[in-house]
Amino acid sequence: MTGWVAANLISVLNGLAIGALLFVLAVGLSLVFGMMDVLNLAHGALFVVGAYLAAALTGGGASWGAFLGALGLAAVIGLLGGGLLSVMTEPLRRRSHLDQALLTLGVALIVAELLQIVFGDDPLAVPAPPGLDGSTSVFGAAYPTYRLVLIGVGAVLAVGVWLLVERTTLGALVRATVADRDMVAAIGVDNRRVKITVFALGSLLATVAGVLGGPVYGASVGLDSTVLILALVVVVIGGLGSVRGALVGALVIGQIESLGRALLPDLASFVLFGALALVLIVRPRGLFGGRSGATA
Amino acid sequence: MAEFTLSRRTLLTLFGAAAATPVLAACGSSVGGGSAGSTGGGATGPVKVGLVIPQSGVYAALGTDMQRGWDLWLSQHDKKIGGRDVTTIVADEGENPQTGVPAVQRVLQADQVDVVVGLVNSATALGAAPVVSEAKKLLVVTNAGAADITGKARTPYVWRTSFQNAQVAAAAGPYLAQQNVQGGVFLIAPDYAAGTEVRAGFKAAYEAAGGKIAGEAAPPFGTTQDYQPFLSQIRQSGAGAVFCFFAGAEAVRFVQQYAQFGLKDTVPLYGSGFLTEGGVLTAQGAAAVGVKTSLFYTDRLDNPANRVFVDAYRGAYQAVPTCYSVSTWDAAAVLDRALGKATALDGDALSAALGGVGAIDDSPRGPWTFDGQNPRQTMYLRTVEGTPGSLYNAVTADLGQKAQV
Repeated sequence: MTGWVAANLISVLNGLAIGALLFVLAVGLSLVFGMMDVLNLAHGALFVVGAYLAAALTGGGASWGAFLGALGLAAVIGLLGGGLLSVMTEPLRRRSHLDQALLTLGVALIVAELLQIVFGDDPLAVPAPPGLDGSTSVFGAAYPTYRLVLIGVGAVLAVGVWLLVERTTLGALVRATVADRDMVAAIGVDNRRVKITVFALGSLLATVAGVLGGPVYGASVGLDSTVLILALVVVVIGGLGSVRGALVGALVIGQIESLGRALLPDLASFVLFGALALVLIVRPRGLFGGRSGATA
Repeated sequence: MAEFTLSRRTLLTLFGAAAATPVLAACGSSVGGGSAGSTGGGATGPVKVGLVIPQSGVYAALGTDMQRGWDLWLSQHDKKIGGRDVTTIVADEGENPQTGVPAVQRVLQADQVDVVVGLVNSATALGAAPVVSEAKKLLVVTNAGAADITGKARTPYVWRTSFQNAQVAAAAGPYLAQQNVQGGVFLIAPDYAAGTEVRAGFKAAYEAAGGKIAGEAAPPFGTTQDYQPFLSQIRQSGAGAVFCFFAGAEAVRFVQQYAQFGLKDTVPLYGSGFLTEGGVLTAQGAAAVGVKTSLFYTDRLDNPANRVFVDAYRGAYQAVPTCYSVSTWDAAAVLDRALGKATALDGDALSAALGGVGAIDDSPRGPWTFDGQNPRQTMYLRTVEGTPGSLYNAVTADLGQKAQV
């Protein structure tokens, strides 16, 4: 019995680690969709760019320099890529989400194909930085140290993003743009700049999540669509445009993917989308949705 | 006047479409070689082969190995199969039947090939079987391992030079039973057709030899990024060993996470050979060392044909061959024998000729014969050895000649 409890406590812990990673991945998608009203299907591709970058830089051997270098480079690429996507979707602002989806999906396909051409067809692994690549004994069983650290990193980023949106002038501007775009423009703020900023920061989080997720997921062809679906599920469960919603959604999905699969192994394929269906029936706008989406 | 303009435009459009159709149909398949005419009946006329392999998507790396095996055989045999000049039409199978079956249709109809070779995906092979049967052309499957291809859905026009999923897994059953694993073996493979066949094949062979299954798990295929819940289940079960089947990125993640969660040192990991075959082994790194798998080939096989083959392959591509290269190489080898005997290039004549090729004694995998339309071949137990960057599958045991199950 104690063994059963300990095993499931490890699943809970692991759910936190996966949830932390999913939060970093999904919060950008949630902000861009919820606040700027752009459905960015290239979000998964940005994640995979980060993952391949980490694989390329740490390919010669794991070191802190290579890992932090990959994080820095991924952040820059995320900023630039997000800015570019924002400019590309600008002409589609007044058109339907489907047009944006078509454009960003096309970008995602092109990026994925380019990555396959550059990095080859074989799946690549990303080693954790030295010191974090081992295992730590938790509840009497080995647990990867890197994942423990991931929980802390995710928590720090969650607090950072929340402070940025809720407690800074930039955050106030973003929230004001969501509430009344024309009024913000009337007081002399170019709301296209606000959109570019949010888009760039959201994309930065996606590429950074790719590097952080590298030691867990690796880098491979097809990973982009898998993580995009996970991120979309997180956003749907948490509700659009809310940092708190993305955090809760990510933690819920993390637990479903870990504890849910451990408790109901025979239903492993169904628990994720079962939970999604349940949320859609009970709260169609997501757990924390509602205040956004009324921008149009 | 307006009517005249309209009809002229319509006419031009029709002309344009008519002119473009053959061009479009030829797109996507690259034509190699230079001989014309496809159904030349003479015993020494040219033969046109459609090599349908993945050039895009998650299986693209396998496609590369398959093409290399095919090209190497041809370059070593004066670009002739059975005395006939060969034209190879390469088409992209993609990831699934939605792309793979149309690719087979296209090489048959637009390119008028005589024989189709390739196919990684089992669903694609099962979808292509009625297509080639209707066209009465031969299909030589060089990877797809579903039992139905040469079993329940068997047609005389579809032969296989690779393996059957359960055949590979079942070979390890009696071996593990002899090891007398304390606590039994835990069985894990994804919840799709191939995974189910592997679990059933291993379980039947292992239990028949007196083994006890400690538990089973079927992680969702293609969407499982994290195996922690299943690894936890394995630890709980008290199993003394694990037998698994994963391929591609899933193989990399499973083997790495198996080590990260501390199971590698306490519960030995066994699997179908694809777990550690080709590019995935490089990515797995140190986590793979000591993993034991069953398969019909490893580049470390010590026989004269394989030594020559590996040297030539290394020389041509600066890479080591995989089981995918060998299956496609052997497809050329059996076609060579069949075409040498057949009087015509239709599926009936070639199928009859393939039935009479007898033992293939010059294959890099060792001698094998057709049993039904699937190889009866020696299975080897292989252990991953070496250091990260230069890992390889060493031969640990000869598991004996196995037919499809």
